[in-house]
Amino acid sequence: MSSSRQLTRRDFLRLSALTAAGAVLSGCAPAYNWLAEQAEEAVRFDLPPGGTPFDFQLLNRLTFGPRAEERWRMAEIGWQAWVEEQLSPEGIDDPVCDLRLRGLNTLTMGANDLYDLSDKLFDDQDRLRVPDELRQSALIRQVYSRRQLFERMVEFWSDHFNISVEKSNCFYLKTVDDREVIRKHALGNFGELLSASAHSPAMLTYLDNQANHKDAPNENYARELLELHSLGVDGGYSQQDVMELARCLTGWTIKEHFWRGDFVFKQENHDDGSKFVLGRLIQPGGQSEMEDILDELAVHPSSARFIAAKLARRFIADNPPPEVVESAAKTFISSKGDIKTVLRVLLLDHAGAMQPKYKRPVDFVVSALRMLEARSDGGLDLHTFLGRMGQRYFSWPTPDGYPDRADAWQGNLLPRWQFALALMQNEIPGTSVQGEFMGSEGLPDLRTSVRELSTRLLGAPLANTDQLADDLSSAGAVNDVEHRRTIAAGLLASDAFQYR
Amino acid sequence: MNRTRMTSGESLTVLEVQARWPSWMPRLAFSPQSSSLAGDLLVVVFLRGAADTLNMVVPHGEDAYYSLRPSLGVPRPDDSRSSKGKRALDLDGFFGLHPAMESLLPVWQDGELAIVHACGAPDESRSHFKAMELMERGAENERGPASGWLGRHLASLENGNTSPLRAVGLGELAPRSLYGPVPVATLRSISDYHLQGSPQQLKLFQASLEAMYSGPNRDAVIGRETLALLQKLQNMEAQGYLPRLEAAYPESEFGMGLKQVAALAKADLGLEAAALDLGGWDTHFAQGSVDGLMPRLMQDLAQGLSAFYSDLTDLRDRLSIVVMTEFGRRAYENASLGTDHGHGALMLLLGGGVNGGRVHGRWPGMEREQLFGPGDLAVTTDYRDVLGEVCLKRLNNPNLAAVFPGYSVKVGEILKPR
Repeated sequence: MSSSRQLTRRDFLRLSALTAAGAVLSGCAPAYNWLAEQAEEAVRFDLPPGGTPFDFQLLNRLTFGPRAEERWRMAEIGWQAWVEEQLSPEGIDDPVCDLRLRGLNTLTMGANDLYDLSDKLFDDQDRLRVPDELRQSALIRQVYSRRQLFERMVEFWSDHFNISVEKSNCFYLKTVDDREVIRKHALGNFGELLSASAHSPAMLTYLDNQANHKDAPNENYARELLELHSLGVDGGYSQQDVMELARCLTGWTIKEHFWRGDFVFKQENHDDGSKFVLGRLIQPGGQSEMEDILDELAVHPSSARFIAAKLARRFIADNPPPEVVESAAKTFISSKGDIKTVLRVLLLDHAGAMQPKYKRPVDFVVSALRMLEARSDGGLDLHTFLGRMGQRYFSWPTPDGYPDRADAWQGNLLPRWQFALALMQNEIPGTSVQGEFMGSEGLPDLRTSVRELSTRLLGAPLANTDQLADDLSSAGAVNDVEHRRTIAAGLLASDAFQYR
Repeated sequence: MNRTRMTSGESLTVLEVQARWPSWMPRLAFSPQSSSLAGDLLVVVFLRGAADTLNMVVPHGEDAYYSLRPSLGVPRPDDSRSSKGKRALDLDGFFGLHPAMESLLPVWQDGELAIVHACGAPDESRSHFKAMELMERGAENERGPASGWLGRHLASLENGNTSPLRAVGLGELAPRSLYGPVPVATLRSISDYHLQGSPQQLKLFQASLEAMYSGPNRDAVIGRETLALLQKLQNMEAQGYLPRLEAAYPESEFGMGLKQVAALAKADLGLEAAALDLGGWDTHFAQGSVDGLMPRLMQDLAQGLSAFYSDLTDLRDRLSIVVMTEFGRRAYENASLGTDHGHGALMLLLGGGVNGGRVHGRWPGMEREQLFGPGDLAVTTDYRDVLGEVCLKRLNNPNLAAVFPGYSVKVGEILKPR
């Protein structure tokens, strides 16, 4: 392979034309999916020669499982340049992902319209459409977007500011939160993100602040804001701080009639006495009391350490070295919470400290789809599999978000095995793995095929690949596409593929 | 991580694999029958979200309870202003059971349900996550061991049981209490335990798994356990499971989970500990007094437990059930007709070995000066004293220092020795 460009010029023009064609079609998901499949014909699936284990691990950590295209790109420009490129997602075009998302009309709607849509009919089906489309969009973006690091950060903040769509009106409000809070600020400034979340009707509903009233404050949001969103549980606040903060938050609620589902501050519900929070006297100031506290929390050294430690756990290791956390926390403070700057330090200065991470169910499913260049509409059957593995999107009930430690996930292998078999047998509606990714032509023997498949899925051939191939052939495997599909299922089910 | 296939002596050639086909999977020596295991079968139910235990076992003899909870208080057993099914069910003249938990009353009357009130942990964070984590780890603070108390109990009990079903977590994720060196099977339902494909596909797939999961590392062990479990449960599923007629499990996730545990227990597969969660107890908002959100949860809890208990009635003398929650809720109600995070809670214990029909523990009272912190029930019994007593008297594990390192368990009179 001489050229290592992601797309040839001709491919790019073709994609542009398809995207333009998409623009004139009105909300018709099958047509967009068909167009997307035409565009996916341009997908490159041969692998670059060489590539170091470090490159593969870095790609595996910063993407949801590297596609061939991304392996070529890193080989071409080097890993530091690749990280920089990903840190500026606005410069990366994303035609296939855009086409795949086109049919999901609720993604761009405001709270009031989403409410109207959900209220038209009275059956459950209608309550499911909005969260189902949101889940579908999350999966499609992780599978198809070329802005992979951005999507990784969207996932990170979706965990950090966890909201379950199973809680009351969050089923439609989360769509707005996802767009206006998480995606808008994922690589922006932490203070702006924290503030957007505090004004998010979905968050205020999820943590009961819409009912926080001066007559008897509801502490739920106040506590989680300190414990989980900013300072961390050992960040130096007391039960008294929680109660006083809850008083500051009285009146932060949601409109119920006109512009239903928008944020509103209701002075009549607000406790206008003075308060004492984190060692500081708060003079009565209505909504501005809490706005000032949010600014303070956003740059607090405890918040810096807490966010830095979580980022390091996500991107470096389950137990990151203290000096890595310290370095990221310092950068957080000096940059006043600039997320890109913190990530740049974490990834460019400390990538060498990376330890293997156990794949969470979403990592497992999405990496299988990406590394095999599967086509997928992100539809409901995939979410059923994710649910059985324990990670249906936006369904973690408690505000701490899906766990980010290996031991939380390690015991539940069977649904992963079942998914591997179903995927490779093309039994998941709306999702398919093309035969050519099984190396249908030109692979002389089973050993070569197994080596090729392990290189695609595990970065490099396993040390005992030939032994495995010979074992399989003694068990009756022959070198044809059908058997290679089952062998690929076996590799997806392996312990090695559970790590990234 | 080791990306290579393990090349230790454990690695099998396919011929060896084939020689044992189709019963090649359980390479583990199966345990002696559970009836010969030393201790009780322990079932731990964790109520996640901090249950409002003051409305579960109601101190109806306490005036302050009613003044602090004008809307949420559960009416006294003799309160003629409330209709009959809407009052607390008297237990001992001072405490009463919430009417939604009536199905547990017969177990109480049989002396096989004990309540430890004002029970909890020393942690004062009022954080769900910190409190749950410390409680499941059985640790005094963050510096304690990372494993779970139940995991350490199993690891420190040398009874030769190597069944892959020794410890089971119901659901998608293993509960923290079970973390430790003994592998934990997580399963949602026995009927999920099968693989689909043609015989040839399954044969190749399983041969791959056998080759991949052959090493000594933790992942390989878990993989082999999963394979062994697959074989066991496929056989079991073929026979089907019918609970005893009188065991009316609720059609809830919790009820179904308990039914799976009962099936495993009766199949004699070496099950020693099972952990289940029942979530949704974080009732800051409109929790309901005798009807509504929390009463529905209590009904699910009580009906599930009473069905499970009658289903396993033949095993009751070697069955211990423990129900716990991370902390209780504020003594007074909030303006949204809910309750905020509090401190003291309670534990329920069911089983033939329980000194039941009694509310154990010292009642700290609910008058202003008796409450703790911002207005919470005080803790007078440490939860580790209760769990420690279970380990010692019912699970035949005298090594309490291994289960709760750094804590000196005070053994009470809640249970009878085996």
